[in-house]
Amino acid sequence: MSRMGRVRAETSAGWRSFVRRRTAVFFTFFFPVILIVIFGALVRTDPAGGGLFTEPPAYYVPGYLAVVVLFTPLSRMGSEVARHREGSRFEKLATTPLTRAEWLLAQTAVNAAIIGLASLLILGLVILLTGANIAFSPLLVPYVLVGVVCFCGIGAMLGSYTDSQDGAVAASNGIGLPLLFLSETFVSPELLPGWFGPLVNLSPLTYFARGVRAATYSGAETAAVAGVDPALANLGILAVLAVLAFALGARSIPQTD
Amino acid sequence: MEAVVDATDLEKVYGETVALSGASLSVAQGEVFALIGPNGAGKTTLVRALTGTVEPEGGTAAILGASPAAVDRDRLGVLPQEFSPPARLSARELLAYYAGLYEDPRDPADVLADVGLADAGDTWYENLSGGQQRRVCVGSALVNDPDLLFLDEPTTGIDPAGRRTVWRLIEDLAASGTTVVLTTHDMAEAEHLADRVGLLADGSLVAQGPPDDLVREYGGSSRLTVETTADPDAFADLEYPVERPARGRDRTPEAAVVVREIDPAAIGSVVDYLEARGIEYTGLSWAEPDLEDVYLALAEPAERERTARLEGERGDGAADESDLARTGETA
Repeated sequence: MSRMGRVRAETSAGWRSFVRRRTAVFFTFFFPVILIVIFGALVRTDPAGGGLFTEPPAYYVPGYLAVVVLFTPLSRMGSEVARHREGSRFEKLATTPLTRAEWLLAQTAVNAAIIGLASLLILGLVILLTGANIAFSPLLVPYVLVGVVCFCGIGAMLGSYTDSQDGAVAASNGIGLPLLFLSETFVSPELLPGWFGPLVNLSPLTYFARGVRAATYSGAETAAVAGVDPALANLGILAVLAVLAFALGARSIPQTD
Repeated sequence: MEAVVDATDLEKVYGETVALSGASLSVAQGEVFALIGPNGAGKTTLVRALTGTVEPEGGTAAILGASPAAVDRDRLGVLPQEFSPPARLSARELLAYYAGLYEDPRDPADVLADVGLADAGDTWYENLSGGQQRRVCVGSALVNDPDLLFLDEPTTGIDPAGRRTVWRLIEDLAASGTTVVLTTHDMAEAEHLADRVGLLADGSLVAQGPPDDLVREYGGSSRLTVETTADPDAFADLEYPVERPARGRDRTPEAAVVVREIDPAAIGSVVDYLEARGIEYTGLSWAEPDLEDVYLALAEPAERERTARLEGERGDGAADESDLARTGETA
């Protein structure tokens, strides 16, 4: 079987396993929906006021997308790796022609399909509930895909270095939540202390947020990077980080437990 | 005949636990080799070292003419000991999934039939019985029609009929030239299936050979078990050696004496002896030595040595089951 055939077999098994866990499917889509309802429809943005949510609704689109682009891979990959470890599945797979990178690629494909659907739902709801004025740039597609690759790699590392499903989920929450709010998603840089700026630059999600905002929000003031259009430059940076995270994630997957 | 599995002086240590200590074995093509030994003896580690999922710290290993890490995985089939595949795929989907990972797989429907689950093919794995689940797992190791098959406790949890199905399957595979290395705690399974048996104790193979040879060398003599509360001294005039084994040892009832080195034709003379002296007994059973006797003769002393060594290392005489459990079946 070719590499494509192996990845297809693994992707098919991963997809079926996911859609048959109804609770997981429900909450994968419910989580971003409830967040949009709370922040977008109940709290609402207030451009004239102070504090959080003072930007126009379109500013927060990268944040809402980040809920699934960040959290879903972190928690799904973390628990999937832990589940595989507990069932000696990696030990089995290590004796087949499937490589660790192929396994991670297949799981990334499953996540990309789930997150692609969730992203469409989020964009629809954001427009419907908040009246956000969004430019539908084709760059949204590579941003979501590259973001999923990046965070699947990080999720695989979390699952590999924690010792249980519980541990993986706790770790993904512990890392995901700060990243979600401190990566120029919901909290604009002006609201953070000056010394925090360099730390924001360490988060891969920052480049996702900057790039998506530059591509979809006409009022974005995202700076160009070395003279390159910010929508493309941030995609490039995110892609480099994604390749690194994917390679490290694949390498971290254990063979025995 | 060319060795399909060839390992010399394998060493593996987990922390302070020695899992393999100079383990060596060689398995020829088409041979069925059974590894037996107590929990924590190193069976699973040895299988992992031979399949490339654990890297030994010392020694050399080769399978199918290559190092385990570099072997052509299309030719290798492996069933890990505590393997649990995705729970919400049907038996048919699981076999198709694993078949999809290989270059030239068998038809999953044929494998499903081979493991006796043609009627349960559409049932999710999590809804199958424990024995059926294990048979699906066995099937997952067969989907690529491997030249070399490692089965780590393949029949654990399978009912007798299912076990026979798996046994027939292994026999057919060996007859068609597949080399099989299996681990088991079922001595009958090892004796029934294996061309050769290796007894692993404390990380090394303390004996290996055809089951009959091992039984002849280490199994001791035939025995007649007399279920009685009478003292062995009451048998003093019998012309055969008589002993009362320790409680629960040597597969005897708790109240019994064992008459050794007796031919089945002479059992009548023992009955006459019992009745002449008015010795009450509730049952008689005669048995040839078998692989379990070999196991008890070789593995138990090794286990006692290991326990004593653990006690010595701890220096407080407190080595107990937890020490052995820590090494675990996965050690």
